[in-house]
Amino acid sequence: MTRARLGSQSITLIAIVVAGTVLLGIASGGDLFSPVGIRTFFQFLAVPILIGLAQMITVAVGQLNLAVGAIGGVAAALAAVLMADLGVPPLIGALVPLAVGALAGLANGWLVVLTRINGFIVTLATMTILLGAQYALVGTRTVSADNWQPLAAVGRATVLGVPLIFLAAVAAAVVVALASRYTRSGRRLLASGDNPEAARLLGISNDRSVVLAHTASGLLCGVAALVSLAALPGVNQSVGGDWLLPSFAAPIIGGVSLTGGTVAVLGTVLAATVVRLVDTARAEFQLAPAWVNFVIGAVVLGTVALDRVRQVRAERRRGAARAQDAPAVDTLEAAR
Amino acid sequence: MSDRPAVVRWLATPRFVLIAIIVVLVAVLTAVKPSFLNGAFVLAPLITSITVFTVVGLAQMMVLSIGHMNIAVGQMAAFGAMASGISFDLFALPLAAGLLLGLVAGAAIGALTGWIIARTGVNSFIVTLAMSFALLGLVPTVYSALSTGSAFVVKPEGFDLLGRSSFSSVCLAGWCGPAAIPLMVVPVLVVMALVGLLYQRTRWGRELLLTGSNVTAAELSGIPTARRIVMAHTLSGTLAALAGILLATSIGSFTPSIGDEFMLQSFVGPILGGTLLAGGYVSVVGTFLGITLTLVIRKGLELFGVGIETLNVLLGVILLVALSADRVREIRLRRGRAPGSAPGRPSGSTPDRTPDAEEVPA
Repeated sequence: MTRARLGSQSITLIAIVVAGTVLLGIASGGDLFSPVGIRTFFQFLAVPILIGLAQMITVAVGQLNLAVGAIGGVAAALAAVLMADLGVPPLIGALVPLAVGALAGLANGWLVVLTRINGFIVTLATMTILLGAQYALVGTRTVSADNWQPLAAVGRATVLGVPLIFLAAVAAAVVVALASRYTRSGRRLLASGDNPEAARLLGISNDRSVVLAHTASGLLCGVAALVSLAALPGVNQSVGGDWLLPSFAAPIIGGVSLTGGTVAVLGTVLAATVVRLVDTARAEFQLAPAWVNFVIGAVVLGTVALDRVRQVRAERRRGAARAQDAPAVDTLEAAR
Repeated sequence: MSDRPAVVRWLATPRFVLIAIIVVLVAVLTAVKPSFLNGAFVLAPLITSITVFTVVGLAQMMVLSIGHMNIAVGQMAAFGAMASGISFDLFALPLAAGLLLGLVAGAAIGALTGWIIARTGVNSFIVTLAMSFALLGLVPTVYSALSTGSAFVVKPEGFDLLGRSSFSSVCLAGWCGPAAIPLMVVPVLVVMALVGLLYQRTRWGRELLLTGSNVTAAELSGIPTARRIVMAHTLSGTLAALAGILLATSIGSFTPSIGDEFMLQSFVGPILGGTLLAGGYVSVVGTFLGITLTLVIRKGLELFGVGIETLNVLLGVILLVALSADRVREIRLRRGRAPGSAPGRPSGSTPDRTPDAEEVPA
């Protein structure tokens, strides 16, 4: 049942992506399909996919991560400062965002588990702290990408015209999909998110699931920071500043249940693509950047409303199906 | 616990702790930096921001009381302020009419949000998040379409009196009030009193708290919970709009960036003040004190020339420490108290439902 619903959501999203791409392609006079157009489109799709996945994992365990942008920002800023000011070689510098991200996520998870404070508030607090740290690191300056030219070269590299960093994001998505389906920790994480009480009775440590989810989420933010480091002309305090809202939009539009217990990797990736299409359309028609927010907000509201309608219908259908099998008393019940 | 005298019980509330910290902090600041007590240049701006942010905190408290959140509190403030700005700038309405229009706009957007939540049953976090996206897109677009330079600058009569005057301009028989206290304090005190009365004395207020502490029980006891949800969000939107308009009067113009800083503060105030995230218990005075504490710290840091980044780090740490301390207090209370105390009483951090009950799988 759940899988069928998610499937239909993905099909809808694929249809939207195809239709949107065709329409935009025509509107741009084919510019979208030029090598440059394709490269730009995918280059700026990597971060939305990664942060969408980062949020998806915390949502799957029944938590939230308000600190996605702050973790990514501080990870990118620290790596940039280390490479620019202290001469850390880019190869090691590339590992810094991943380590910072994973550690920050681990800290979030531990705080949630140890203090039993609402995850929303914990990540709100760590978000503020990390934003302060990011500002303390880079202040008002922009650290130029010239300081990590090998990394920037990776950011520009393409495979058959598709940017390498986009492929990295897709690889991360595949890893998340496989881990959530086939690994023991992944299944446990989903069980904790679906029904903590039942998971506990099965001998699953919900605390471990929460810590794992936050750590994985932080690590994905770190990957997003690394990608930004490679793709952007420089790092300043604005990196990560606009990640929070898209990070929620992708899983929600992608069909992830907000009550936890499900993941929809394909849906999240497709939803991130839809958001990217909206952004591209905005640039094509030279509208104000604010329009993207408006459209995304409206789409998210529409999605949750539609989801609700679908749920109610499914419940009714289930009720009707049961009524056919059951004696007349139940039919009366269902008819009501 | 319950047989202890009221004074002792009061000493254990977060409000007393907050007052104690604020008093100590102000004393230390004054001793180290005597310029802290400069009426017109330090205290007046401080009190102005305390009044504005108290309203922001109350806006969040409204929805916290039913166990919901309002992520769009800043954007609703921007939306309400925008409506006021348009009515002054394009229609040249007088002050009162423009204020009313702004509040109505805030109420409308809050009502819409509440209606969507009540109708679809979707988590308030997501609906208000989406609403904040939508408004974040809408408001700057309207500003750039209807104004030159993305700001509404026309001031009706009395605009500066509300936003930028202090009691020093109120003179009675040759004696004028202190320059440290802005006039804006008066309407905000009225609002605080009204919100307090709503929760303490009216049926609606009790029904909001009951909806917050247990929505099923509230529904079963005949409370129209859907209507209460819409009501809480409507009031939240109205208060957010009021805060936005007050901020606009204090800075002198309406801009799309109004409300940018509201979200974090809106949670910090009520939470430090003892409002439960899970709903069912609120504290108006606590919210005011929580806001005051953070803003006094902010002003103190400013006086010492400490940057905004330290302030952010500190705010986050305070939030975590305060809540951890709150957990300890709650656990102690749970051990010590007999069950059955009414929610909403000054001492009642109802232990039967913990703030993390929904979020943290235990």
